[in-house]
Amino acid sequence: MSVDNRVAYLDGEAALPRKNGELVFAAPWEGRAFGLAVLLSEKGAYDWDDFRKRLVEEIGKGDEAYYESWLAVFESLLLAREVVTREEVSKRAGEYAALERDPVF
Amino acid sequence: MSHDHDHDHDHHPEAPSPVEARALALESLLVEKGLLTSEEVDRIVSMYEHDIGPMLGARVVARAWVDESYKQRLLEDGPAAVKELGIGYPPATQLVVVENKGDVHNVIVCTLCSCYPWPVLGLPPTWYKSAPYRSRMVREPRTVLEEFNLNLPDEVAVNVWDSSSDVRYMVLPERPAGTEGWSEEQLAGIVTRDCMIGVARPRIPAESAAR
Amino acid sequence: MDGVHDMGGTHGFGAVNIERDEPVFHHPWEGVVRAMMQRTNGRYYNLDEFRHAMERMPSDEYLRASYYERWLHAVETLLLEKDVITRTELTEGHATHPAPEATRETEPRPALEPRFQPGDRVSTRNIHPHGHTRLPRYARGRRGVIRKVYGPFRLPDANAHGDHHAWQPCYAVEFAAQELWGDDAKQTDRVCIDLWESYLVPEEKP
Repeated sequence: MSVDNRVAYLDGEAALPRKNGELVFAAPWEGRAFGLAVLLSEKGAYDWDDFRKRLVEEIGKGDEAYYESWLAVFESLLLAREVVTREEVSKRAGEYAALERDPVF
Repeated sequence: MSHDHDHDHDHHPEAPSPVEARALALESLLVEKGLLTSEEVDRIVSMYEHDIGPMLGARVVARAWVDESYKQRLLEDGPAAVKELGIGYPPATQLVVVENKGDVHNVIVCTLCSCYPWPVLGLPPTWYKSAPYRSRMVREPRTVLEEFNLNLPDEVAVNVWDSSSDVRYMVLPERPAGTEGWSEEQLAGIVTRDCMIGVARPRIPAESAAR
Repeated sequence: MDGVHDMGGTHGFGAVNIERDEPVFHHPWEGVVRAMMQRTNGRYYNLDEFRHAMERMPSDEYLRASYYERWLHAVETLLLEKDVITRTELTEGHATHPAPEATRETEPRPALEPRFQPGDRVSTRNIHPHGHTRLPRYARGRRGVIRKVYGPFRLPDANAHGDHHAWQPCYAVEFAAQELWGDDAKQTDRVCIDLWESYLVPEEKP
């Protein structure tokens, strides 16, 4: 694995949030979302350019925070490729939200 | 900024927000399906946080702060010292680290074009490449530094380095008081790109100072 | 050359516009320009030619252009001048002939005895070449002190114009701010510039 410039240097509206040149994650889940999306692209689940285009579209739609858009795009790609189903994600998310599972990454 | 790795074992964690729950759900499902491991995710995040851009320079600074002999090696031969930390440095380019000390403050510019030590600081900010910075930093450094909210006392001399050759300069900022006993990771966390150009000084975030 | 690119000390550019948290590229095409430059630099032209190509932009265009616009201008100019692409190909948007062989300068750095040592007092020559140089206007005919010895490096004044073998020692030369800017500058402030040996003469002893 090595740093992919296309990821590191996302541009325009899709630019990764930075402070003083460094990546910024406002909360740990944002870093996880970043890592998940990049990792699955590296593993060939989808093309990075596809992710990027959808990210730009999603950001363009409205007032979502950056990593909310990021996660939404990631999830939509997984759903489209039937890697996960909407039901299982919602069920699992519900378990975390209800603290039935320990929210630790 | 890098995160503090707080390992408080809180028996009553806060319920995650909906989006956070979704992120947790996705990761756990993908791990269960054997598509990835959490360690792999850790590695990727760490790589992008640490292996590009100013975090490389910050690691060098932090090491120099805790290890005096490393600092001497760094001032003697920049590329060799940087490589000691596993950071690749392109051959045939020189890196010279200039040290801020009590009465001397260093700052970097390239008046003729915009040369910048990208292997350790990533890509340069737009202001560094701009005509106002290029034209004014060699001539009125203190006024320009004030525009960056850096006010230097009269007794401090300013050394401006105009990078006119293939030598790239980087500032080794002074270690601030109040960081005694900090780990290298904590120290690297307060070293910003702007500190290594010389338009800022490392500052202890308010919440850490209060501890 | 005494172009507008040589802007150290020039008045009138205004305050520094500090954009906090800016993205690395503001537009996608900037990333493409960067990649193109990285692919062609060292193959069809060298860095000194690249810098000089930017300097040769008409002055008003240079000042109006953004950083990556200048890069694009330089890459385009050099690839045209070196027949890697033709103007017709550029305007019509597709290739009609293969690119020439890339050349790469691989001459090893020679061992050269530096003329100056740290602590030596030197003056910069008052040169005003039409071609490329890395001696800024604000530091010509000024007295300084050698601080560091580097290189040897290829002399940009030669390397940008076809002579790739003019190696010279290079020095970090320290100038008092008052030497450069007059008595209004702070007496303790300094400016250090990297200068090639042929830019320097030993200071006349009084």
